[in-house]
Amino acid sequence: MLSRRLLLQTVLATVPFLLVGGQPARADTASEAGRFIQDLADTAIATAAAGNISETERVDRFRRLFVSAFDLPEIARFVLGRYWRTATPAQQQRFLELFREITVLTWSRRFQDYGGETLDVINVAADGEQGMFVESRINRMAGGQAIPVTWRLRRREGRFQIVDIIVEGVSMAITHRSEYTSAVRSNGGDLDGLLTAMANKIDVLRG
Amino acid sequence: MPPLALGDVLSRLTVLAVAAALLAGCATRPPADDAEALAEFEQVNDPFEPANRVVFRFNEVLDDAAIEPAARGYRRLVPAFGRDRVGDFITNLRAPLIFGSQVLQGHLSGAATTAGRFAINTTFGVLGIMDVASRMGLRHQEEDFGQTLAVWGIGEGPYLVLPFFGPSNPRDTVGLAVEWVADPFAVWARGTNTDWFQPSRTGVATIDYREANLELFDEIERSSLDYYSSLRSLYRQRRSSLIANGAGVAGFDVPGADAFESGDRSSPQQQK
Repeated sequence: MLSRRLLLQTVLATVPFLLVGGQPARADTASEAGRFIQDLADTAIATAAAGNISETERVDRFRRLFVSAFDLPEIARFVLGRYWRTATPAQQQRFLELFREITVLTWSRRFQDYGGETLDVINVAADGEQGMFVESRINRMAGGQAIPVTWRLRRREGRFQIVDIIVEGVSMAITHRSEYTSAVRSNGGDLDGLLTAMANKIDVLRG
Repeated sequence: MPPLALGDVLSRLTVLAVAAALLAGCATRPPADDAEALAEFEQVNDPFEPANRVVFRFNEVLDDAAIEPAARGYRRLVPAFGRDRVGDFITNLRAPLIFGSQVLQGHLSGAATTAGRFAINTTFGVLGIMDVASRMGLRHQEEDFGQTLAVWGIGEGPYLVLPFFGPSNPRDTVGLAVEWVADPFAVWARGTNTDWFQPSRTGVATIDYREANLELFDEIERSSLDYYSSLRSLYRQRRSSLIANGAGVAGFDVPGADAFESGDRSSPQQQK
């Protein structure tokens, strides 16, 4: 027969699980994911979209944001597909750097013409075990229709990182994958050819 | 020699583009023992890539020479308010086709919205130049016959770049052709011999679309390593999203998916 003390202990030990297990814990993770995106957008607008900074400063601020908020190695692996696995570590490292610079330069340029857009998180949905979809809306100033943007997050070592951005149903990662693997193929499957093309693209973007 | 009519010039250009594309031919299918290359080939879904690239370049030349300059001129000459009226008018003309597609897809609430929009915009919106229905909460829904065929279960087929029309596939090409024939306004124009109507409408719609997307295409071309394959991917994803009426990116691999989780994590350390 269960002693009264043991029974009490069992009940007390179970209560926290009842409270935090299942739904409530998921709701916490969901709101954390939503906050992560909201904070990122607010930070980007407050720092990188500021009007009174030099171009170099803007790019630097963007680079810091990008490196911390995005899972760059995961994205790079996806974008290169099968060519990632056959690349040497040096080529992989070089690809990560060039890909980061192209992305940072592209986005800092977009934010240069920042026109007062704001972001609202409208829904968060689970995406497998470790993932979250954060659905948001980017509101435009001049009465234009809001743009739906979904952020795909992965939890890694206790914090969220972005692995994809889906704008009006179009995934940036899938688009980049198509573009980069095609560029490798047109260089006869040679990754060094791609890396050279990327370095040239960076010169154009800095231009 | 009499001056060539615009239609003649265009049809001769099309013949040229198609002939050049046929000469360029097909992409080589990877051998069956190279499973990864084969999987990539199937995923890209562009067996006519060399031919498509020829037509793509043809369209680019046409765009640089005529369409883009016309769109820039249009933006310079016509203030935003006027351009919005033109855009609303062109959109309203598509309402019967959208309505028909929605009915054929069994999407009756959408069809009701489109019918309501058409009635309101054509009357209160002065023949469609003011989209007042949107302000009443009846939002424009993008449908076409290509999407209807997709909902009926017909696959996209291989990616195609059409002269003038750009990115497409056999299914969407059939959709375009059906719309060209079945559009009530086109039927009316043919029946009344209003020959100027369809070419003018197409011309205005083209310039309107190009003007609205001047920055978008500049940006894609500028930031892309391979403009052709970026547009190919954008087109296919956009179509698939429109067919699902905005529900996600089903049917495509995505980063962070399980295949990559369990795959090699032997990446170099991310540099600080």
